[in-house]
Amino acid sequence: MNQTEKIDVITAEGVTKVYDADGIPVNALNGVDLTIQAGEFTAIVGPSGSGKTTFLNIISGLDAPTEGKVSLAGKVISEMSGNELSDYRRDNIGFIFQAYNLIPVLTVEENVEYIMLLAGVPKAERHKRVIDILKVVGLEGVEDRLPTQLSGGQQQRVAIARAMVSEPTIILADEPTANLDSKTGADLLEMMRKLNTETGMTYLFSTHDPLVMERAKRLITLRDGLVESDEARE
Amino acid sequence: MMLKIAFRNIFRQKRRTILTALAMIVGFTLSSIVIGLSDGAYSNVIEMFTGNRIGHIQVHRAGYHDKPSIYKTISNYESIGKMIQNEDGVEAWTPRIYTGGLGSVDERSTAVRIIGIDVARENIATNFNKKVIEGNTLSETALHEVVIGEKLAKTLAATLGSKIVLFSQAADGSIANDEYTIVGIADSGDDITNRVACYLHIDDVQELFVLEGRVHEIVVIVSNINKVERISNAITERLHDTSLEVLPWYQVVKSFYDAMQKDKQGDAVARFIIVFIVAIGVLNTVLMSVMERTREYGVLKAVGTKPIQVFWLVIYEVVIITMGSIVIGAMLGVFFNYLLSVYGVSYAEGFTLAGVEFGKMYAEVNVACLLVPATTVFVSAVVVSLFPAIKAARIMPARAMRIH
Repeated sequence: MNQTEKIDVITAEGVTKVYDADGIPVNALNGVDLTIQAGEFTAIVGPSGSGKTTFLNIISGLDAPTEGKVSLAGKVISEMSGNELSDYRRDNIGFIFQAYNLIPVLTVEENVEYIMLLAGVPKAERHKRVIDILKVVGLEGVEDRLPTQLSGGQQQRVAIARAMVSEPTIILADEPTANLDSKTGADLLEMMRKLNTETGMTYLFSTHDPLVMERAKRLITLRDGLVESDEARE
Repeated sequence: MMLKIAFRNIFRQKRRTILTALAMIVGFTLSSIVIGLSDGAYSNVIEMFTGNRIGHIQVHRAGYHDKPSIYKTISNYESIGKMIQNEDGVEAWTPRIYTGGLGSVDERSTAVRIIGIDVARENIATNFNKKVIEGNTLSETALHEVVIGEKLAKTLAATLGSKIVLFSQAADGSIANDEYTIVGIADSGDDITNRVACYLHIDDVQELFVLEGRVHEIVVIVSNINKVERISNAITERLHDTSLEVLPWYQVVKSFYDAMQKDKQGDAVARFIIVFIVAIGVLNTVLMSVMERTREYGVLKAVGTKPIQVFWLVIYEVVIITMGSIVIGAMLGVFFNYLLSVYGVSYAEGFTLAGVEFGKMYAEVNVACLLVPATTVFVSAVVVSLFPAIKAARIMPARAMRIH
């Protein structure tokens, strides 16, 4: 895929989320309107409790909005069933989590190929793509190790490889550098930025980290569940 | 892949796996021992009633079982016996004559039961010779000899060599009385029989009661008691004589059999309680495991795993642990039941049931002591894991991943 076709990947319209905290309603999002376009390298920033992670959860179908709708390529995800949501996430979303969230009993290769396995990609192709992506993220030679045998930075690289290997529509990264030292975090961000440029894959970060903000091409600030600012940067 | 993850999870969470497996193994083994002991006890009781006493199948003149009478006899018993012997599964047969009378030794008299037996056949069918605890068994030809019950000997103050006079009424209405020599004292294992039994050669009894060539009962011993119904039906068909009744042992001692069946129902309650305890143990450990791993299921769902695949993941784990536990439980069950079948368990106080004395309970190693616990452990484990599996499948990924 080569970028810069300005296609809308995700559209959020009037997204509201109200949590019930021991009987007290808490407004996490108060009507967010946002469009993410193909090839973007966007960071959503804001103080704790501003609704960053909630917004990522809702656009990925991990959580349902209280009001409003989210569409991916014209399909409204809040209207999808449980199985449709699973397929939606498998085929369109690549996740990178703060806590890596690798499957502890699977090796590096198995973790990376897991999503392709769910998608029914043939074994030989899976193996080739895993080897290729591990080379891209700098993890050659650790295919047979378990996540516990890797450093935090290496685990996050596996998570990035897992997120990218099935070539999803968008990669959502929730505080991906929060558990890493600044050098490892900067290295990983440089790698993701490079991949974004080379492959045109869309990245959306939720972060507090200045390292991410410095590298983002678009910076969206959330405060009290609303978009406070939305600036394009180069 | 789900199977692979399930298998590896089992070895990753060793403590949890061991706890779950222990609940199942202990439940399986206990259940197996309860079944082995109870089936062993029933088999023991049945064997005491059948093999040594009433036989597995009885053939009489129709109506004899409900209302015994000296006149209800089988005349052509030798040819009937040969027909029975030809039936598949029949091990032996033996004819008997039963009458009542008065027995006197010197000045002492008491009511006795006179049992005419074919000594050679009775030894093969019911090991009669082994019941003689003092003196000798009867000769194979009629010599006016008698073997009496142990307690009858005490009642009559009779010793070996004493003469006993038997009084009764013969089949032709005449007075039957004759004198016989006591050659042996028998312990039949049955208290009532021991108090009244006088065993005589069948020819002597036929002569005394004017019953030449006739008997009251043909006792049949089969090689496998579980096939008694089929063999009984086959004999009925083979004899093809409506003037004869062919009764399997459980119809001969129907009230005892019914009481035993009721006792078995009580036993089923005990089995259910054990299965229930196992099920609660499994539910607890599986539920704990699902709750511990809520975050992991959230991640699996987040990356595109379908709810049904998460459901099967939980079920696979339980099934793998269950299968392993069943194998270990089966080995332990067989081991303990074998030990208990050899050494038995002594009752705190021996007891007598329907005249038969019991001092020890022996277990039995049979298919039921493996199959019933295996089925109950497997079904209960799978059933109780349905709830945690559904819970895992329905987890909201965002909420699950917030749990640390």
